[in-house]
Amino acid sequence: MAGPSAGPDRDRLSWYEASARQRLDALLDPGSFTEALGPEERRMSPHLPLFDLPRAFDDGIVVGTGTLDGRPVYVAAQEGRFMGGAFGEVHGGKLVGLLRAAVEGRPAAVLLLLDTGGVRLQEANAGETAIAEAMRAITEVRAAGVPVVGLIGGRAGCFGGGGLIAGTCSRLAVSEGGRISVSGPEVIETNKGAEEFDSKDRALVWRTMGGKHRRLIGGADAFCDDTIASFRAAALSLIADAPAFDLDTLMAEQARLRERIERFGECRDGTEIWARLGVNDPDAVPSLDTRAFDETVARIGEAAHDAR
Amino acid sequence: MADWRGERKARDARLEAGRALARGKVVPSGEATALLEAILRPGDRVCLEGDNQKQADCLARALCRCDPERVHGLHMVQSGIVLPEHLDVFETGIAERLDYSYSGPQGARVARMLYGGQIKLGAVHTYLELFARYFIDLTPHVALIAGVCADREGNLYTGPNTEDTPTIVEATHFKNGVVVAQVNEIVDRVPRVDIPGDRVDFVVEADTPFFVEPLFTRDPALMTETQILIAMMAIKGIYAEYGVRRLNHGIGFGTAAIELLLPTYGEKLGLKGEIATHFALNPHPTLIPAIESGWVKQVHCFGSEVGMDRYIRERPDVFFTGADGSLRSNRALCQTAGLYACDMFIGATLQIDLMGHSSTVTQSRVAGFGGAPNMGSDPHGRRHPSDAWMKAGREAQITGDPALMRGRKLVVQLVETFGDKLVPTFVERLDAMELASKIGLELAPVMIYADDVTHIVTEEGIANLLLCRDADDREQAIRGVAGYTEIGRGRDRAKVEELRARGIIRRPEDLGIEPLDADRSLLAARSIKDLVHWSGGLYEPPAKFRNW
Repeated sequence: MAGPSAGPDRDRLSWYEASARQRLDALLDPGSFTEALGPEERRMSPHLPLFDLPRAFDDGIVVGTGTLDGRPVYVAAQEGRFMGGAFGEVHGGKLVGLLRAAVEGRPAAVLLLLDTGGVRLQEANAGETAIAEAMRAITEVRAAGVPVVGLIGGRAGCFGGGGLIAGTCSRLAVSEGGRISVSGPEVIETNKGAEEFDSKDRALVWRTMGGKHRRLIGGADAFCDDTIASFRAAALSLIADAPAFDLDTLMAEQARLRERIERFGECRDGTEIWARLGVNDPDAVPSLDTRAFDETVARIGEAAHDAR
Repeated sequence: MADWRGERKARDARLEAGRALARGKVVPSGEATALLEAILRPGDRVCLEGDNQKQADCLARALCRCDPERVHGLHMVQSGIVLPEHLDVFETGIAERLDYSYSGPQGARVARMLYGGQIKLGAVHTYLELFARYFIDLTPHVALIAGVCADREGNLYTGPNTEDTPTIVEATHFKNGVVVAQVNEIVDRVPRVDIPGDRVDFVVEADTPFFVEPLFTRDPALMTETQILIAMMAIKGIYAEYGVRRLNHGIGFGTAAIELLLPTYGEKLGLKGEIATHFALNPHPTLIPAIESGWVKQVHCFGSEVGMDRYIRERPDVFFTGADGSLRSNRALCQTAGLYACDMFIGATLQIDLMGHSSTVTQSRVAGFGGAPNMGSDPHGRRHPSDAWMKAGREAQITGDPALMRGRKLVVQLVETFGDKLVPTFVERLDAMELASKIGLELAPVMIYADDVTHIVTEEGIANLLLCRDADDREQAIRGVAGYTEIGRGRDRAKVEELRARGIIRRPEDLGIEPLDADRSLLAARSIKDLVHWSGGLYEPPAKFRNW
């Protein structure tokens, strides 16, 4: 029933600016989304009141089912504006539940709209457990032949356990504003000092964790404009092109990670890595528009690889 | 016989001592401390150029390294206490007395050192007030200034951050003082002469370029819907209402939101050309969309802003630029322009009391005032009419002969009812008063006095204090826009409704504004990158503001 007709907002709506609900509404076929454990059920964090912190009726994550270009998908969207999209017990539980349901339900894909700083400090044990469970569940979904696609371009980026979950996905799409990493800039600076990593140098942050860098080294599989339409197009093409989840893929990933450390281990900046990758003018990369950037990615070739 | 040339002789002796370390006028940075020890005398009044933006940091470090046996008891007279070195000299006894204007980042340490008695404070001034005193009773014996480059004759190019330099040099040089300039480099020919060489006695080539911080860049990505709502009310309820064309903006997110709403919301209201055409303002990056869409005719600047140089060079119809193409700013003249030639000052504050007095001083910080008290005061010396000024004057007129009425400057406080960390903006008693009694200030550090404030805008509405006729009107008008703060909840509901009927309080719905329309999609730019696009790539934001 749901045709390809784009909602009026899809081309205009900024992914970065949109809320989790706005992203889902515009990403999926119009009217196709059905939420599970919606805010009306008020499944809220049991821990936050101990810290006198406000709770959200949906605990900062929206999960459910819908269709994408007519095909059934399961979706989870984190709300980066509630506690930085961080994982707590309920938040994580909703994600894990969705993933486990996908093993049974066998949709065409699972889409994870990640927007998270990692685990919520106030419920760290539950959050860490949820991350581990989610990673395991993702592998089970993938093993069942369902691609899991991560879409990353929100304010909070994708950090901590969110970065680990992203690493477990079949494919990732990222926009320029999106960041993917495990330790965030402030964490690195706190542990290693500002000489090692100046978290206030935001251009440096983006050169080392930002969407363009991740795409160039093959850490993400598609680079999007900051519109919902662009993420939708990327999701559709990544679903169609998901790698097999088998021993060969995992071995290749492991080999690629090892090679990456060997090749780039002593680089001090993203620009040095890009130069070694064969980018002609690394300093110009941050200012390239999407089209010019995609051309650069195509030229260096190795960004496209089943073993991310 | 009186000696009418005592100061001149003393100056010559200082110069003589300094020249031993110089080749011509040029002193290597390694000799900067020796130079200062040679030319300074105990108890001197010294202006160590600490502007709002550019800092004579190399000379500040050199002063810190002076031997306190030789150099001590200095009386520092400078507008900004910005660098740690500006206060370090008080810990070693090199300096003793202080007269200044602004101490943003060092505000807490200033408070501690005042309390501990390490600093003998003259007063916390406004910029214009301190500059004025440079020419009456706080004339520097020695000025330590900063510029981008100089030639060997001492001709100085300050760069776009000219700021305080001409004023400092004028007072120091023409009253027998010694002027030392630090520059990033010595060149054969300066791009333009901001300070003629015969007013500069020594030039120190600094080891590193002078420090300057982007103080006026507000990232549109951080703007909230509440700030947008407040900005909409200000545009419709004040800018449009009074037809304010000539104005000064504060540096907070509220006024930045207004700047970003002019080409969108303002356009929709048909206000282009009717409001916000002439500014006394630093070159705010958030003003770019309004400039590019033809709203802004002219901007005179106190100083520059990091990353705006190329953009300004390409927009000489809007900005004041030299023959070399770069911005020429001037704090003293722009402050004067803001005081006398603008019909409105609009800016934020940290605390407002029940009368409308406001202050940015908290119990532990003496941030100083900068220019806000000048901008935000009704200049009784003004003698030229304008529609906005006259309308405000009519609203305030209570008694007397209408033929003798004069106008009023619009002084608008733009605040959220709760500030950072949900601290209420509205208070019974300003922290400034506690602080004044704690550290023995004769004058409480009030930023804008109640009798100068004409409007307070919060997310709850606009209070027009011009229309208030007695103290009760005024108190309830303030309570009536103070939201859920203690002050707001203490309102007399019936009285507030009466004030609303009289147009003294106006809610968003009274202005025909639907709060749900206050959406980030209204902003002409929603990110720093959008600003870069608006500027056609001419704006070059510093790394700390980039997310690409």
